[in-house]
Amino acid sequence: MPALLQIRGLSAGLQGRRSVTQVVSEVDLDVQAGEILGVVGESGCGKSTLAAAIMRLLAPPQVLQSGAMILRLPDGKSFDLLELSDRDLRHLRWRHFSYIPQGSMNSLNPVLRVGRQMMDTLIQHGLSSDEAVARSIEALELVNLEPRLLESYPHELSGGMRQRVIIAAAVSLQPALIVADELTTALDVVTQRQILQELASIRDELGATIILITHDMGVVAQIADRVAVMYAGKIAELGAVNDIFEAPRHPYSQGLIGSIPRESGQRVEGLPGEAPSPWNYPSGCRFHPRCPKVFAPCGEQAPLLLAQDSERWTACHLYDAEVAADV
Amino acid sequence: MSDLLLVENLRQVFGGRNQTVAVDDVSFRIPAEPTIVSLVGESGSGKSTIARIILGLLKPTAGRVLYDGADIFRPGRQWNRRFRSEVQAVFQDPYSVYNPVYRAERVLKLVIRKFRLAKTKAEAQALMEEALWAVDLRPEEVLDRHPHQLSGGQRQRLMLARVYLMRPRFIVADEPVSMIDAGMRASFLNILLDFRDRHGISTLFITHDLSTAMYLGGEMIVLYQGRIMEQGETRAVMNTPMHPYAQLLISSIPRPDPRQRWEEDLSSAPLAEIEEFGEIGAAGASVRDRCLFANRCPQVMDRCRRARPALQAPGIDDASAAGREVACYLYD
Repeated sequence: MPALLQIRGLSAGLQGRRSVTQVVSEVDLDVQAGEILGVVGESGCGKSTLAAAIMRLLAPPQVLQSGAMILRLPDGKSFDLLELSDRDLRHLRWRHFSYIPQGSMNSLNPVLRVGRQMMDTLIQHGLSSDEAVARSIEALELVNLEPRLLESYPHELSGGMRQRVIIAAAVSLQPALIVADELTTALDVVTQRQILQELASIRDELGATIILITHDMGVVAQIADRVAVMYAGKIAELGAVNDIFEAPRHPYSQGLIGSIPRESGQRVEGLPGEAPSPWNYPSGCRFHPRCPKVFAPCGEQAPLLLAQDSERWTACHLYDAEVAADV
Repeated sequence: MSDLLLVENLRQVFGGRNQTVAVDDVSFRIPAEPTIVSLVGESGSGKSTIARIILGLLKPTAGRVLYDGADIFRPGRQWNRRFRSEVQAVFQDPYSVYNPVYRAERVLKLVIRKFRLAKTKAEAQALMEEALWAVDLRPEEVLDRHPHQLSGGQRQRLMLARVYLMRPRFIVADEPVSMIDAGMRASFLNILLDFRDRHGISTLFITHDLSTAMYLGGEMIVLYQGRIMEQGETRAVMNTPMHPYAQLLISSIPRPDPRQRWEEDLSSAPLAEIEEFGEIGAAGASVRDRCLFANRCPQVMDRCRRARPALQAPGIDDASAAGREVACYLYD
């Protein structure tokens, strides 16, 4: 089955006065229909830029540089998201793919009732106001909120409830693809657990596909089916969640997973060094200055994200048979 | 020898007409021998308020805090100087504590000058370098930099280098790792463990992230809406939490292991927030004269809504209950 979203050679950066500084570099990624794909990485690795690029919502000085992104809807229609006009995008966004940006629970308008804000979007997409009310109530039920909340103002709601309202709005037109950036970062653990479990049940009920961007390895371990590990603007490794956690292959993933504090008395070491910023991405493999397994080609040649088998991709020369043969 | 810290019946009420009880009769002690105590709780549990009181930044409505047997709010310049040098704070945001205009070395130099730690420039330089090595920073990589040129992890460790210079007896760290990246957290936590083991420095570690508290070990205090629900040895509390709130909290940790996923699906459970809604501001004695978790508790009994359960040793005969205290009628 072809992927719901095929991303090829996607690059995005920051427009400076003279040149563009690349933040996300040539990302290739297939997102399968119905999966929850976790995209993890440390701050500054480009994961939020990738999310905004997928949504075609990069704001200046962010610029899209190149690539293709084919969205294949369940009804057979397909679009290259990078070719669409702003007008077409406005029509498709929310209906077919929606975005929950970081911190969006604080983006509700404080002087408008929740219902009005949810319905505005629906009416913009051609629903009558009766339909919009019905859809909003259905959507609130998906996140365990009562219809009476439509009459509330945002300040009357807790953080967890506001985040649920945002999720409800994002799924109210039953989009095929939902991209959520740091969805539960500011929330308490119990609320976080409830919201993530609600998200998983939305996937089951609506058959939606979810890309979950997070820095939290625990969140990914709990609800993702597959994981893409990002480092310095590139995907370092991609695979099933169990494989990535139990047998990470890329030295960066190994370091990241190995540095998670677990039991007391079992010391773990943090990753040595610091992640590079887009202004000083190293040549070759961007992880090579910090890599404990660095060897000859790493400083010059950038490794490609290659499939080791049908389920597993790693961008590391250690797993590239051709490079290994040359050394 | 008296306790390092003794917190007695601490109470903090904010606001005039609509009062909020942030801390509600909290007592605990930190022994004189080097140890790490984690104060864990969700937002609104009062953990940061307790930190501010212990640091002497906020006078409590009632109760007292004894440091080495003496009330921390007692007046006197000499006492103040001693308290300020022996008790050090590390805060959550490693960005806002630095003045962006000055280079990183200034935060260390100021301490050296203020507390007259060195006689000569060379001595000062040696002290700074030693402190940086103690927190895994390379002096040449940080001293000449401006704060914005350092990562969050580096900035937070620089705060620890500053603390190290002072050789305090006690550190109060309020959410120190929540803004630093996953790969750097372990390094920071290891430094606190080293401080305890090599330099005899105790830490009160305040966090909403139970997995970091678990890594540090020591003792754990679980707060909920300004009250202690349970306390005991960290490993025992994490492995066999007794209070239903501690059970919910600990089972909700997103464990970084896909083979240990959450068992029970809470996605259709009644929303705690709706029930508790409106109560947060209501501090009337009648509303708080009960177990504050009663409305969310799956094992709630009549008496839970009638009176506040006392924090006491559980009435069960079990090795894991040793040294434990629980505020729940189930163990009465």
